Amino acid sequence: MGEVILTMKGIDKSFPGVHALDHVDLEERKGEVHALMGENGAGKSTLMKVLTGIYKKDSGTITYEGKEVEFHNTREAQDAGVVIVHQELNMLGHLTVAQNIFIGREFKKGIRIDDKKMNEEARKLFDRMNIDIDPRETMSNLTVGKQQMCEIAKAISHDAKVIIFDEPSAALTEAEIAELFKIIRDLREQGLGIIYISHRMDEIKVITDRVTVMRDGTYVGTLVTEDSTKDDIINMMVGRVIYEDPKTENMTPKDAPVVLKVEHLNAGKMVQDVSFELHKGEILGFSGLMGAGRTETARALFGADPIDSGDIYINGKKVTIKSPQDAVRNGIGYLSEDRKRFGIVVQKTVAENTTMATLDAYANGPFINKKKEKEVAEKYVESLATKTPSVDQLVVNLSGGNQQKVVIAKWLTRNSDILIFDEPTRGIDVGAKNEIYKLMNQLAAEGKAIIMISSEMTEILRMSDRIIVMCEGKKTGELDISEATQENIMNMATREIN
Amino acid sequence: MANKTVTKTAGTNKSFIDRMGGQKFIVLLIVIALFIFFCAMSPGFRKYTTVVSILDYSYYITLMAIGVAFPLMTAGVDLSIGTGLVCYSLIGGYLIVHQGWPTGAGMVVSILLGVLFGILNGCLVAIMELPPFLATLCTCMITRGVGSVVVGGFGIPWPTAAAPGGWFRSIFKIQVNGMNIPIGFLWIILIVIIMTFVLNHTKMGRYTLAIGSNKEATRLSGVNVRFYHIMAYVICGFFAGLASISYSAIFATVQPGSGAGFELEAIGGAIIGGVSMTGGVGSITGTLAGVFVICLLKTGLPFIGLTANWQQIITGLVLIVAVLFDILKRKKEGK
Amino acid sequence: MCLKKTNTVKEGKANRYMKKRGMGEAKQVGTVNRNNASKQKMGGRKVESIKQNPFVKKVGFNRIILCIVLILMYGLFCALTSGAFAGMTRIMSALNYAYFLGFLSLGVTFVIATGGIDFSIGPVMFCCALIAGFSLVTYGVPMPAAVIISIVVGLVFGIFNGYLVAYWNVPSFITSMASMNIAKGVASVFTRTQSVSWPQANAEGGWYRQLVKMGDIPTGLIILLIVAVICAILLNKTKMGRYILSLGSNKEAVRLSGVNVKKWEMSAYVICGLLVGIAAIFYVAAYTTVQPGYGDTYNNEAIAGCVMGGTSMAGGLASISGTIIGVFIIALLQEGILALGFTKDVQLIITGIIVIVAVFADVVARRRKN
Repeated sequence: MGEVILTMKGIDKSFPGVHALDHVDLEERKGEVHALMGENGAGKSTLMKVLTGIYKKDSGTITYEGKEVEFHNTREAQDAGVVIVHQELNMLGHLTVAQNIFIGREFKKGIRIDDKKMNEEARKLFDRMNIDIDPRETMSNLTVGKQQMCEIAKAISHDAKVIIFDEPSAALTEAEIAELFKIIRDLREQGLGIIYISHRMDEIKVITDRVTVMRDGTYVGTLVTEDSTKDDIINMMVGRVIYEDPKTENMTPKDAPVVLKVEHLNAGKMVQDVSFELHKGEILGFSGLMGAGRTETARALFGADPIDSGDIYINGKKVTIKSPQDAVRNGIGYLSEDRKRFGIVVQKTVAENTTMATLDAYANGPFINKKKEKEVAEKYVESLATKTPSVDQLVVNLSGGNQQKVVIAKWLTRNSDILIFDEPTRGIDVGAKNEIYKLMNQLAAEGKAIIMISSEMTEILRMSDRIIVMCEGKKTGELDISEATQENIMNMATREIN
Repeated sequence: MANKTVTKTAGTNKSFIDRMGGQKFIVLLIVIALFIFFCAMSPGFRKYTTVVSILDYSYYITLMAIGVAFPLMTAGVDLSIGTGLVCYSLIGGYLIVHQGWPTGAGMVVSILLGVLFGILNGCLVAIMELPPFLATLCTCMITRGVGSVVVGGFGIPWPTAAAPGGWFRSIFKIQVNGMNIPIGFLWIILIVIIMTFVLNHTKMGRYTLAIGSNKEATRLSGVNVRFYHIMAYVICGFFAGLASISYSAIFATVQPGSGAGFELEAIGGAIIGGVSMTGGVGSITGTLAGVFVICLLKTGLPFIGLTANWQQIITGLVLIVAVLFDILKRKKEGK
Repeated sequence: MCLKKTNTVKEGKANRYMKKRGMGEAKQVGTVNRNNASKQKMGGRKVESIKQNPFVKKVGFNRIILCIVLILMYGLFCALTSGAFAGMTRIMSALNYAYFLGFLSLGVTFVIATGGIDFSIGPVMFCCALIAGFSLVTYGVPMPAAVIISIVVGLVFGIFNGYLVAYWNVPSFITSMASMNIAKGVASVFTRTQSVSWPQANAEGGWYRQLVKMGDIPTGLIILLIVAVICAILLNKTKMGRYILSLGSNKEAVRLSGVNVKKWEMSAYVICGLLVGIAAIFYVAAYTTVQPGYGDTYNNEAIAGCVMGGTSMAGGLASISGTIIGVFIIALLQEGILALGFTKDVQLIITGIIVIVAVFADVVARRRKN
């Protein structure tokens, strides 16, 4: 490790209603891979966005190469040599690979863009990274992994001094991750500073030199990776015991009937021949890497995306699900991973959202019975302990956890027997998380059947009675909770690749 | 992101049509088929004068369509080009006819007005972030009003070919031995070549497509998105200005209050030619071919006994069909 | 943690209350630095206290402002014409304009509430009036049948637009453009490009004119207000309205609640078509003659009335009473411009600018909120 190249000190950033960063520190040296860790919503991405000028910090200082700096946009950061490889791919699908890599700084011959030279330069970059991508290929034709490599190539081509990887491995196969690590080690050799954001403990141990941990927008501490154990890091990340409390045995009654049976479900590329059963009162966890096809399975099951083939049985009866209407009629409720886009109508009130799926029951003919609507909304606000001043409150003003409760209330009002929770605690703070967990357990105990899709291993191990693991659109394993460990789940989640 | 991923390697499994240029090729076939159809249906259509009149109609629509292709490729639209064209032509003509300006100066004013309204549209869309169709619907009404107010509600006859200052008419059509030679199409070809170059080989074109493809990603790449977004509308306005010149050159008189509906023909042409409504995709040559579908219908339908009004209806339906085609194509690609 | 929560709730209250007003001056804790924020508060205190007033709260700050604008405009026109504007004739004339425009505007409010647009309404209205009028005058169909024909034609266009938008995902401005041309074309073909004059009040079948004015009673105003109340009930008290507004706000979330969003989205366009058909009757009842090939100038005015009244172009937020006041402003403006001796063209320019300003205000309000 060389000298310090970048220091962030006392970084503070608030959004309306959220204190996203509370005096966070970070130090980066030349030739160092520095992990930035923390649960979802801990503020890692926000911190990096402050660094690269996407967000403006409220207070604190950033020192880069010995000078205090503040980048006002990504361009300034790039020009100074601070480059970010984003979690969401920032690609221009209609353009070619080379055009993507050099967007904003094309080579030119007079006023003409020199595409030939760009293709050559891109090829050189890929040669240096030892990967085989045709620079002339249209971006949208590449796999997610390849697209990620292009993003990295783009970052490298900026003459970067500090490269930030924001969960780069989330969508990569194991082989691609190995490639990525080789690239990262090369970059480290060249004396670049690398900030590596990840959830995956194993990667951290393999690739990083130091670890900085964040929790709920605050700085927790920095460790030297070599001198610390996995548990040290985990303890710093969670800071609470709740995560240390996995379920050890299947809580479903032995004789619980099968409420949902899915056979050979196919829907597009991401759902291939998926079969499983779900029992009454069971929480069935769906584990796997990002892009494994879990959400796609849930959406197909719910009729949100078209099904190509396969049979669905509910309570032993075969059903056809072509639209969410069909699914809802058959007693399925779906809580999306992306609440704001797919779960709630943010500009409407709690009451209006609660009855969204059941308006017929709260209407006299075409007219809505607002009193009755309000009553049921209040009932669920109370029973789910939703924190809202009234049911006339707009949902947009609630916190993530309470928004989630409103969505739960929506499906409970509908009396759905099968609930699909897709990343139920994403973007929800730790305390509220616990409440959601309690609620899910309670619902299962009352006889609801629950499918829970989660990317957090701890959540899967804590909540599930049984676990289904998916990889690249296929089911690659099924485990009872008593036999499930992080290791065997992860093995299954990457099985297809080997 | 995941559902966008299509594992298809370039070069392989491309159909014959794709290799020939995809939609452009199909549209070219349609143009030829339409031409043969009208020739077969009506002897009156098989005349040199018909070809000249098709070309006459094609100039201003082509110019507008090439212009509007740019906002369309940024996933926007410009509805003000039709009334804009008339407005610029009226004001330019007014200066020439009533204020005694030289013809050249009037033409420059027409084009500058186009650029000016292009800048206005661009600012409304790129800086004030208004929905493009709404912002340009407003400028559509504004240009219409401005044109009428300036000329006081009367039609403007630009100088005739024989009159002094009528030289501009021979930009598009010259008479040799009493025969009309439509030389305008040479200019169109030149412009198509230039704009194809601009679209495919300059920053302007590259960023237009990039903005339409993913505006946020383009911004994060450090591109001055606002500038290039505005420029797309400026190009559109500039071409509406050029179109106004060609319109003045072809038609004897320009009437205030007209021009509504021209934009439909231009947008329709661009979309038929493969410019995607959702941005990111388009070609100038395709647009040219698309425009000729519209122009052939426009000139051909009266020959088979349908009035100009039918042509209005059919243009509307053709637009819907072209857009549906675009939607279906994207649906297929998305799978 | 606890502290954070109470903060959220407090802000939530503020947000919500401002939103109701359609003003949306959500304060941005954090993005604006603290000094700025407090300055804003100081400056805004007076406005705040007005907004807090229970009466203002009930009627809506936005609508009160609009009413004041309406009155000021009237005063201004009276002053500029040195009193000539004050007479009843001018008001009646403005009202005549407000009737058909009001129906158009009400119709397009439903469409805009879904997050769509329909700027074919003007030409479609003319198409309705032409086809019905031509049937009446040339084919001799009875007056009630002509009224029904007009409404049916409007409905057909509404169904056409709605079907394409809701079931085929065609952008609404494309369907608008297409049906605008189709309406003009159909009307011209049907009437062989002739203008159509509906019967005078004393002629046979002239009773329809009483829809606008019965002696000295402005029946048109009464009918318009009744229809507006029905629209308000439809929008705010029924399932249809709830779904229309919700899907305008977040279509995918509504769809994933198991709601048939296509049906409800289409219904907004159908309602719009129906109201356009009615508007056509009120147009001819006031102005008698319709000419094919025209009508598109009314699009912008109808949309202007709608967005001025606080209906958001982004969908999900609509106010019927706001629309009606907005329409009155436009109608008064048009009458005033004519009274001042300007042409209709000036009106086009002014309405264009009004729409831009109104929509920009909406964009700013939404940007502040996020």
